[in-house]
Amino acid sequence: MDTADLLDIRVALVTGKGGVGKSTVAAALAIAAARTGRRTCLVEVEGRQTFSRLFGTQPWDFSEREFRPGLYGLSLDPEASLAEYLEMFYGAKRISKLVVGNAAVEFATTAAPGIKDVLLIGKVREMERRRDDDGRFHYDSIVVDAPPTGRIVNFLRAPEATTELVSVGPVRHQAQSLVDMLLDPARTCALLVTLLEEMPVTETLESTEALRRLGMQVGPVVVNRVLPRRFADDERKALTDDLEVEHLARVLDGAGLEVDTDAAQLLLDRGREELARIDLQDSMRERLTEHLDSGLFELPEIYADDFAADEVGLLADRFEEAWQ
Amino acid sequence: MTSRDAAILRKARARDLRDVVGQAHIIVCTGAGGVGKTTSAAALALGAAAAGRKTIVLTIDPARRLAQSLGLKTLEHTPRPVRGAEGLEAMMLDMKYTFDEVIDRHAPDPSRAQRIKSNRFYQQLSNSLAGTQEYMAMEKLYDLHHAGTYDCIVIDTPPTRNALDFLDAPRRLTDFLEGRFLKLFLAPGLRAGRTIGRAVGFGTGLFMRAASRITGAGVLEDLGDFFQSFEGMYEGFKQRAQAVYRLLSSPGSSFVVVTTPEAPALREARYFLRRLEQDGMPLGGVVVNRATPRPAAELAHADAEALEAAARQLAADGTEARVAAKLLHLHRDLADTARREQRAVTAALHGVDPVALVEVPRFGGDVHDLSGLELVGRHLHGPVA
Repeated sequence: MDTADLLDIRVALVTGKGGVGKSTVAAALAIAAARTGRRTCLVEVEGRQTFSRLFGTQPWDFSEREFRPGLYGLSLDPEASLAEYLEMFYGAKRISKLVVGNAAVEFATTAAPGIKDVLLIGKVREMERRRDDDGRFHYDSIVVDAPPTGRIVNFLRAPEATTELVSVGPVRHQAQSLVDMLLDPARTCALLVTLLEEMPVTETLESTEALRRLGMQVGPVVVNRVLPRRFADDERKALTDDLEVEHLARVLDGAGLEVDTDAAQLLLDRGREELARIDLQDSMRERLTEHLDSGLFELPEIYADDFAADEVGLLADRFEEAWQ
Repeated sequence: MTSRDAAILRKARARDLRDVVGQAHIIVCTGAGGVGKTTSAAALALGAAAAGRKTIVLTIDPARRLAQSLGLKTLEHTPRPVRGAEGLEAMMLDMKYTFDEVIDRHAPDPSRAQRIKSNRFYQQLSNSLAGTQEYMAMEKLYDLHHAGTYDCIVIDTPPTRNALDFLDAPRRLTDFLEGRFLKLFLAPGLRAGRTIGRAVGFGTGLFMRAASRITGAGVLEDLGDFFQSFEGMYEGFKQRAQAVYRLLSSPGSSFVVVTTPEAPALREARYFLRRLEQDGMPLGGVVVNRATPRPAAELAHADAEALEAAARQLAADGTEARVAAKLLHLHRDLADTARREQRAVTAALHGVDPVALVEVPRFGGDVHDLSGLELVGRHLHGPVA
């Protein structure tokens, strides 16, 4: 699939290794989708309040709130999901009141593996299926800042893993309907976020493979924090081979900038490190394209002395450009 | 930032992890996922070995090339000497194997151990219960300590999103295994339901009906069997967990909190620092990996407009002048980033004492061999005698 097709996906699961910026990418994608007029919900799983901090809003919780025109935010946690689940299936407020306490959640989240994910993804499915009075889907687009890929893989194996333990009962049935949603290419797409560095790239390739094998649609890999190619070939050569520190100091001096050789040396060092990073980037990009047929979507490194809603907006611009 | 904060930070920046590497018997590297814990752990272990101490690094999930450079080609559960680093051994943690060992140790007889190990629920549990991996890492740590072979044991904690699991693990697992709550609601399968029903009132029965409808009947039977087989073993688990906790709080241990200069990783680092403080755990210092290098002092103070004017003038000239112009722009961009990072670090450390604060600059490439680790080590602890 193409980046443009992302707009037609109802549920985007944004995932990847820790530290690659998947929350930032999820936020940028949600902003871009909302800007195209789609009613969008950005979902935080296992609340870290990343988004409320990023957007400077009140803390997010289990109720969906519109924090920008057409853009809603929601923070999911298993406890609230469990309560809602029990109410839905048993219509009993009393039960949910009774079980929402540490012990019960401890049971739901640890005793029977998979149940926690059934609850979280169950909520996403409820939102995905929700319809307004006129019969149309309530949300056009749901962007989930999902757990690391390994958890999703485990969950997709859930029919085996969960049914291993949970052989009958509504969870079994629920789990299957969730897997159906996750595996339907018209409804769900996994977006893997990576950096052009060795470990994230290796993990991305492995995750793509694992998700594909389980039948899940994997969208273009989102490459975050791509460094710009500042130096043209001749400049690159000059920086690597020819430019000497005294000369650089003289050149700067000629432009009215007085620097000593130590400072000039630091400038040179930074420049050469940058070239090394660009080389690594190129080889990692090559490795990705060699092994992937889903394509890459690159987001630039943002140089700013602050990173907040405006900077996420710059990344959202990139998605919008790709959709035009 | 208060002046007290500033003074604490200044002092911490002036220190490094030299004492940790030279003296600590146990070094625990902890922090959010993807911040470079494994690399830091390996570099510290290499430093301890270089200081003449018999050292082992226990790693959980190293990058393939780093694993290779440590001589770990496959997932091996036994310590291996690291070629090219005298006095250093490395091993990887095999979760399932360690859990089996734990069961063998605590079970009153082999048939009971077998009964537990063949339980369906045990097999799931050893893979998926939150905290299991952390608990097993500590089990192994305690084993290595107890064996008395090593002067220094360095451990890289599992890549959990919530690093706190590491400290909570023994309590959580013993709580879980003791499972008062679970036993309560499984009780009808184990004992006479009526007594329990009377003891806790009507609510439990209602919840149990709901719970068994959610999970199905099979899981309850398996769970019942599981908890029954653990009967009498909880005490052993608990004592062991307490011993591990005591070991980690002893002055011979040292926690090193690893982070990157990005806000989410720093938030976890802060949380963890406060937690160590509360629990009275010994902190060795904070490592900020992949820091953007701070600019040369004289350029840092240069006027942004003067820089931009010089760059504009140079951009119109020959190749070398253009390179100079672009180096100025690179400097400006990196200086912005460095400022953002410094602010984030300062904010995260507000009101806590990091003891030692070491920044490891981001390198041109990944660290995946001994000379790379030595380079990291020079930042972490300086040259080792």
